[in-house]
Amino acid sequence: MTSLSRFVLIALAWLPVTFVVWYVAAPVLLWPVRMLAVGVASAALGDLVRSVTADGATLTFLTSLKPGRTDTAGIVSVDVNMLLYAFGLPLFAALTLAAGGRRARTMLIGYVALIPFMTWGVLADFMKNIAITSSPLIASQAGFSALQREMIAFAYQFGSLILPAVAPAVAWVLTHRRFLEQLRASSR
Amino acid sequence: MVRFFIIFIVLLAGLFGLELTPWAQAWVVEPWTRTLASIATGIVTMFDADVVASGKVIRSAANGFAVSIEAGCNGVEATLVLLAAILAYPAPSRYKFLGLGIGVVAVQALNIVRVISLFYLGQWNFKVFEWAHLYVWQALIMLDVLIVWLVWVRRVPVVDGDDLLHPPPPPALAAG
Repeated sequence: MTSLSRFVLIALAWLPVTFVVWYVAAPVLLWPVRMLAVGVASAALGDLVRSVTADGATLTFLTSLKPGRTDTAGIVSVDVNMLLYAFGLPLFAALTLAAGGRRARTMLIGYVALIPFMTWGVLADFMKNIAITSSPLIASQAGFSALQREMIAFAYQFGSLILPAVAPAVAWVLTHRRFLEQLRASSR
Repeated sequence: MVRFFIIFIVLLAGLFGLELTPWAQAWVVEPWTRTLASIATGIVTMFDADVVASGKVIRSAANGFAVSIEAGCNGVEATLVLLAAILAYPAPSRYKFLGLGIGVVAVQALNIVRVISLFYLGQWNFKVFEWAHLYVWQALIMLDVLIVWLVWVRRVPVVDGDDLLHPPPPPALAAG
C-alpha cells in the first residue's frame, strides 16, 4: 500500500468520527462564526439588522424590514443554518489527523483560518434572503441596487458552492507542505 | 507557493463566474446535468427497472420519489476546482491535459455514485438523505478532488516555480 493510499484510508476512517464531533459540538465550534457575523452585521448592516439570536447551529437575523405594506406590527426574520457553511471543519480535521505531526496545533490554526470563510457564507445567505429570494416588497425596503443584488448573488453562490469545500482543502495544503513533500518523494 | 494560490484563486473565481453566466448555464451546465441524470438512471435501471429520468430529475415510478440534480450536485463546481488547481500548478502542458482528462472522469464518476446513493437514501430515510446531501457528500467530493490532485502532483516532474511542495530550506540551511 502506498503512503498516499494509507493516508486516504486513515482520513476516510476519521471522517465519521470528526463529523459526529462536529455535529454535537457545533454550537460551541461555531460560536466565533456567530460572533463575527453579529459584529459584521452590526457594523455594515446596522440599519437592516436589529439583533441576531442563536438556537444551536441556526442563526436568526431579526431585521428592521416589514413583511407587508400595511402590517406595521411584524418584522422580517431570516434563519441561517451555519452547518451548511461549516462542513469543511470535519474534513480539515480528518485530513489533519490522517497526516500526523503536530495535530492539535494545526487543527487550531485551520479552525481559526476557516472562521472568516464560514462567516462569509452565513452573511451571504442572510443577504441573499432579504435582497433576492424575499418578496419584492421586502427586497425593495432593503434598498439594494441591481448591481448590489448581482454582487450578493455571486457572493452567496461562491460562499455556498465553492468556499465551504475549497477553503478547508487549501488550509490543509498550506499547513501540510512538508507532509505533501514526503508524499511526493515516496512516489519517486 | 504564493504564485500558485493567486493563480488558483483567480482562475477559480473566473471559471465560477463564467459558469454562472446564462450562456454557460444553457450550453454547458444544464446539458451536462441532464446527461448526468441520464447516466445515473442508465446505471440504476440495470438493477431497478422502475426508475426514469426526465431532464435533470430522476424519479422512481414505484413510489413517486424523485431527486432533482441542482447546482452543487452536478459536479461542475468540483470539476472547476480541479481544473483551477491543475492549471495553476507548474507542470508541463501534456501532464496538465492528461491530469484534467483522467481527473474529471474520476470526479464525475464519484459524483454519479453520490447522485445514485442520494436517490436511494431519500427513499429510505429523509433525515439521512439531508445529512448526506448537505454535509457528507460535499466533503467526500472535495476529498476526491484533493486526492486526484495529489495523485497527479506526485506524477508530474518538478519544474521551475514549483515551490508549493518544495519549500525553500530554512534560513540556517540556506545561509550555509
